[in-house]
Amino acid sequence: MNRIQIAATAATPEIDFDFAAHVLSLRGESYPENAQAFYGPVLAELEAYLATHTDRRITVNVQLAYFNSSSTKLLMSLFERLNTAALAGNSITLNWHYDEDDDTILEFGQEVADDNAALDFHAMALA
Amino acid sequence: MQLNVFNEFQKSAIDQGVLFYYSGYFSQTIITAMGDALRQRLNNHLDASNVARRRLFSTFVELAQNVVHYSAEHLTPMNASNHEIRRGAVWVGERDGRFFVVCANPLQRSEQERMREKLEPLRQMSNEEIKSRYREQRHLDSEAQSKGAGLGFLTVARDASEPIEFEFVDNGDSENIMFYLKATI
Repeated sequence: MNRIQIAATAATPEIDFDFAAHVLSLRGESYPENAQAFYGPVLAELEAYLATHTDRRITVNVQLAYFNSSSTKLLMSLFERLNTAALAGNSITLNWHYDEDDDTILEFGQEVADDNAALDFHAMALA
Repeated sequence: MQLNVFNEFQKSAIDQGVLFYYSGYFSQTIITAMGDALRQRLNNHLDASNVARRRLFSTFVELAQNVVHYSAEHLTPMNASNHEIRRGAVWVGERDGRFFVVCANPLQRSEQERMREKLEPLRQMSNEEIKSRYREQRHLDSEAQSKGAGLGFLTVARDASEPIEFEFVDNGDSENIMFYLKATI
């Protein structure tokens, strides 16, 4: 599968899904006008990748600075897909980087962890 | 037009604590540029805590994107879902040590009641109720009419320190009224 690399813009995060290395990273701001248009193709590729693995160590690194309301739903469905893949036998680590000054990002992470209990969740405060 | 009219306009904006004002067509590009300017302005603002800055930025984005998605006056086709351009206005200001954001856009008369039904309950809810509604809504399917997750106004209410205020003003236009919403951080 092809690696997905999308450079960050002011309103969209950097995405680096290195499927060969099984390391998926998402970093930056997320407030596109149409979150579905931005995340839809990425989610489709992710789903195709996850469908081919059942016994794999996968590392997911998330470092969000800000996300708007319409990104929330798409981000949640991304984590739901990862949870499904973890239930299918993969071992998925979710490293959740957050700014200690920003309770919104940590709260969102904790909610993601509660909803997707098959993910090995690690909250990591940024220095 | 007399140029001193603009001076009066500027003066009254300053008197009202307005830090930032834009009226005209809104697009994602314009919102991103304004958001960037707003952040830089806040960085120079020593009184603003990080939490207040984040909340102000979030409220600005939600309300400005609301104009792009829902204003009744549009340059792009009504059924477009991306790269939209619609008309409205936004103010960011500071009064008594607190920031506020006001947005305005034309709204079809037929939408007024639906909007009121959406917003009025948010005015009655406690902070805890807003937070728990926000968490619930994250899980619910998008409303048919909504381009976001139906979460936009809840996000604004969550970040506000007092109930959001809204008003519909009839300027005699046959199709549209003006919709105003104010959130104080």
